[in-house]
Amino acid sequence: MAEKMKDQLVEHVFRHEYGKIVSILLSRFGPSHLEHIEDAVQESLIKAMNLWAFEPPGNPTAWLLRVAGNQLIDTLRRKKKMDITANTELFDRGHASPKEITLEHTINDSQLKTIFACCHPAISKEYQIVLSLKLIGGFGNREIARALLKKEEAVAKSFTRAKKRLKESVKTLDVPVEIGLRSRLAIVLKVIYLMFTEGYTASQGEVPIKRDICLEAIRLALLLTKNAYCNRAEVHALIALMCFHTSRFDARMDEHGDLVDLEHQDRGKYDRELIQVGIGHLEGATVETDPSDYHLQAAVAYYHCAAPNFAQTDWQSILNLYQMQLNQQYSPIVHLNWIVPFHKVHGPKKAFLELMKFEKGPYFKDGALFYALKAELLAELKDYLPARAALQKAIYLTSNQLEKKHLQKKLESYPSTPT
Amino acid sequence: MSNFLYLFRGGDARRIEQSPEEMQEHMKKWGAWMGGLKEKGQLVDGLPLAKEGKVVHKSGEVITDGPFAEGAEVVGGYLIVSADTLNEAVEISKGCPIFEHQGNVEVREIMSMDM
Repeated sequence: MAEKMKDQLVEHVFRHEYGKIVSILLSRFGPSHLEHIEDAVQESLIKAMNLWAFEPPGNPTAWLLRVAGNQLIDTLRRKKKMDITANTELFDRGHASPKEITLEHTINDSQLKTIFACCHPAISKEYQIVLSLKLIGGFGNREIARALLKKEEAVAKSFTRAKKRLKESVKTLDVPVEIGLRSRLAIVLKVIYLMFTEGYTASQGEVPIKRDICLEAIRLALLLTKNAYCNRAEVHALIALMCFHTSRFDARMDEHGDLVDLEHQDRGKYDRELIQVGIGHLEGATVETDPSDYHLQAAVAYYHCAAPNFAQTDWQSILNLYQMQLNQQYSPIVHLNWIVPFHKVHGPKKAFLELMKFEKGPYFKDGALFYALKAELLAELKDYLPARAALQKAIYLTSNQLEKKHLQKKLESYPSTPT
Repeated sequence: MSNFLYLFRGGDARRIEQSPEEMQEHMKKWGAWMGGLKEKGQLVDGLPLAKEGKVVHKSGEVITDGPFAEGAEVVGGYLIVSADTLNEAVEISKGCPIFEHQGNVEVREIMSMDM
């Protein structure tokens, strides 16, 4: 039975099933029953946990859907919240399990609707992410708390508030069609991107869960591609971007859990398969004009993954991409990051002059990244004393402990007397 | 060699708070534990039991919803395991993942009729 279980119950099946069943029940019964739906799905998983160790079912999804659906109908009937004559054929006792092809379609369709519901424009960014992680991703409060370095109670609280907001803003679940889709899709992509960033950000949160959050973001984006209206070039660009970043996950930290910067990453540890998947999506993302921000970022990430080593990175192409990004829509943070490839192409002296322009401007003159860059450029110009001072300031300004430690190590590598 | 009955009680209260991922982890442990017993040829039989049950008293005149006042008393399932002695059977039961959820195992020797 142990072998059998390994075959049928792949990793995270409970988590993924949770998201599937919640979505199906949500689109069938509506967000007003959200709490009952959550309870019913939780109950069905507990039942599964007690039974499946003895004998796993042939079709876990259909099994859970039937158990959770029956439980939900029982609850709603008991509470007289449902018209007994309401259409419940999918869940009626004694019915054969729904046909797998229809089920597959129902899942995709419901999960897609649920994404749009969770990313409703009336809901704040923070809540959109919590809702997506919990209701579609099936993550627990404890896991989200551990990954994002938040208190479990804080996650629970914001989930409760987010649910309230969802119920107020969304009455029935649907995917916007044609008119309105573009702006709604843009929000969904942004939420997926932010979810990915939460997972990818180097913090002391637990690495395996953080990686799962990244993979969940990729899965959601892939789900969008299955819908004809949502299957757009920028979705593929976003998928490519996330694949390229995720491919570097293992190389980004050393065996002590310390950060390794791009220059010193072991490129043999990059996940080649994921890079290939990313390339596939980037090719599928071709547009004639107006590449999206995701296109440009994906292309930058690609050049980093594709370079055999740091020195042989195609900095000129990366610089051009940053320039395009800036030309499309100016953003101070992109501008600051632009200094890095500019430095590699034009040398530290010119880069330093560019960086100093920020000192007079309103942005970042108190940011850690600004001082870290300043230190880097000064060190390359062998101006070690001010470089040390800048780096110390960067260390002081960073709140991320991993980055602090990383910069501290760098500081120790600078000579303390001018050479 | 004798056969022993394991009765699993309780644990549900803890399960309600678990995330899907934690539940799957827990189930894996059950699978691994039972799989190990099976490999050693010690697992004779076993099935989970439904939560609901009735107890019939006084020649069928009184039927109650079971002898269990609370969740901790509910028998969730049983296994039949073969072991040399009651002590060995108890030792084996200590590996059961139910203890993670504060449940318990009752171990009883099944009497052989041909003694």
